[in-house]
Amino acid sequence: MSRAVSFIIALLLILVVLVLGLQVGSFESDLGTIANAFLHYDAANTTHFAIVHLRLPRLLLALVVGASLALSGYLMQAMVNNGLADPYLLGTASGASLGAIIVFFGFVPVTVLGLYMPPVFALLGAFAVTLVVVALGYRKRQLIPSQLLLAGIAISSLGTAMVGLLTFLSDSESKLRTVIFWSMGSFERASWGMLPYPATALLLALLLFVYYQKQLNILLLGEERAQALGVPVAQTRWVILATVSVVTGFAVATSGPIGFVGLIIPHVTRGLMGTTGQANLLFCAFVGGLFMLLCDLLSRLIYPPAGLPIGIITSFFGVPFFVYLLIRKNYAFKG
Amino acid sequence: MKKKPRLLYEFPWMLCLWLALGSCGQTKQETQKQLVLEDDLGREVTLNGQPERVMALAPSMTEMLFAVLDSSAIVGRTQNDDYPAAALTKPVVNNYPMDYEQLLRLKPDLVFTVEGITPPDVAERLKELGIPVYYQKYASVEDIFRGLEDIGRIMDREEQATLLTDSLRREVAQIAARHRQEEPPLRVLGLAGYDPIYVYGSSTVISDKLRILGAENAADETFDALTREFILKSNPDVLLGGTPQELERNFFSIYPELRKIKAYQNQRLYAPDFDLMSRPSPRVVESIRELEKFLYP
Repeated sequence: MSRAVSFIIALLLILVVLVLGLQVGSFESDLGTIANAFLHYDAANTTHFAIVHLRLPRLLLALVVGASLALSGYLMQAMVNNGLADPYLLGTASGASLGAIIVFFGFVPVTVLGLYMPPVFALLGAFAVTLVVVALGYRKRQLIPSQLLLAGIAISSLGTAMVGLLTFLSDSESKLRTVIFWSMGSFERASWGMLPYPATALLLALLLFVYYQKQLNILLLGEERAQALGVPVAQTRWVILATVSVVTGFAVATSGPIGFVGLIIPHVTRGLMGTTGQANLLFCAFVGGLFMLLCDLLSRLIYPPAGLPIGIITSFFGVPFFVYLLIRKNYAFKG
Repeated sequence: MKKKPRLLYEFPWMLCLWLALGSCGQTKQETQKQLVLEDDLGREVTLNGQPERVMALAPSMTEMLFAVLDSSAIVGRTQNDDYPAAALTKPVVNNYPMDYEQLLRLKPDLVFTVEGITPPDVAERLKELGIPVYYQKYASVEDIFRGLEDIGRIMDREEQATLLTDSLRREVAQIAARHRQEEPPLRVLGLAGYDPIYVYGSSTVISDKLRILGAENAADETFDALTREFILKSNPDVLLGGTPQELERNFFSIYPELRKIKAYQNQRLYAPDFDLMSRPSPRVVESIRELEKFLYP
């Protein structure tokens, strides 16, 4: 299948799922109602209000978060030259979770930035943990990918233990509920006001890496070869780490930690498109977004009105698909 | 082939004989002492005679016991029990996670609890340790009164319990009489959590309190976190769950879209006492009176 056709199919599927997603909710609404809600918006009509102000931002947030996590996974795997890497394995997501949870449990006063505290702390946490993991990954001024992965796993476990400790020590039932619910992932709090932050981060990251794509592809061939070909390896790495922290931080802060997407989607797109090429990165983001949209729709169809926690759906429906690809395509991640 | 050891071979016969002999002596003693009750979950609860030392594993249940029993019969409380004041003088047993050792130390003859508060496996473990557990469950205000009478019967304090429930029932009837003609009934939503949004579902005692007040619960049956769209659709007249300032800060600032509901538009936002609202206890009448003030100011 040619690249252009794959892109057009992905885009069309995204549109179809968006339209389907707009129809699902507590207020009954068919295609006519949805068209009306956008073309002749009536502020007094609560169905219109729900479609425009609740459903659409929710779907767009799912799209952005899916794309962000898939992109982060793609970048991480390219950077450490290992198909196991993703924002979870390298501790970025657990750092973001820890940051957000510290705010939820009230360890920092929320008065300074109000509602923006969890995202800000998630970003700080993602940055801090990623820095520590990368520092531990160096030996003799060389980044050793296997050491980086092991450091990531260790620091992630520490992050999980700290989240567990905070949870255990908490004496407030409602805070516990907030954290437990949040940690399973949800797009329920999506709003037009929240959307610009992760969306901007994603767009900037995509633009940046369309520019960096060549270096990224050479980096996939191995660090020494990249160095020999004149790629500024160290600098590229820092750009990747900073981008992944920001993009993952925003995704986790707005929707909770949603596993699986960052690890699997890059493999799925490589399985569909091959392992090299300019368009891979963009396509990966598209497929990540589409996958998350589908999962959100499924979760709300299976378990209305609240929807099953999104992390459960991503794994339940993503893993069989991934296994199918693994068996059928017989491809290998080439580092 | 290996020869079977003699003891093992004969063991079943010896066991039967031992059981037969043993049961002759014991049945006589136990029929004098043993009491078998059936609790609200249909479980069989076996007691070694009239219980004298009891305690509860839920704050609401502790209130129930103090309303019917002498304080001296109650041997402990859980870490969350704070009413009545006399409860605070009792030794604390942590109920989550369950502190079995402390409970054994206090040697209650019977432990009362509420369905949903004490997990069944904890009750099983306590039974193994020789402490029977008696569950009550309540779906209506009347269930609470019956629960009080139930405690009275088990603890041989029937008169005390009947006096109490008679007066509580009279008060409820008087309140209900004031609101028989409410048309259309106010639709009320009770928030139990802001983030995610949890509400008191239709099968809870709160629905019955609202019915007595001529109002109705705007929530369907749900134990799940709710979507904003669901709340928008149920569009309640009254929202219980915090003062207007609290709700503005912790609820409507997170979900500004919900400012469209009638309760917000008409500023009918109220903060009932959380314990009164959520505990099925003799204070349920106090809770109904509080709600009456909010609904019909």
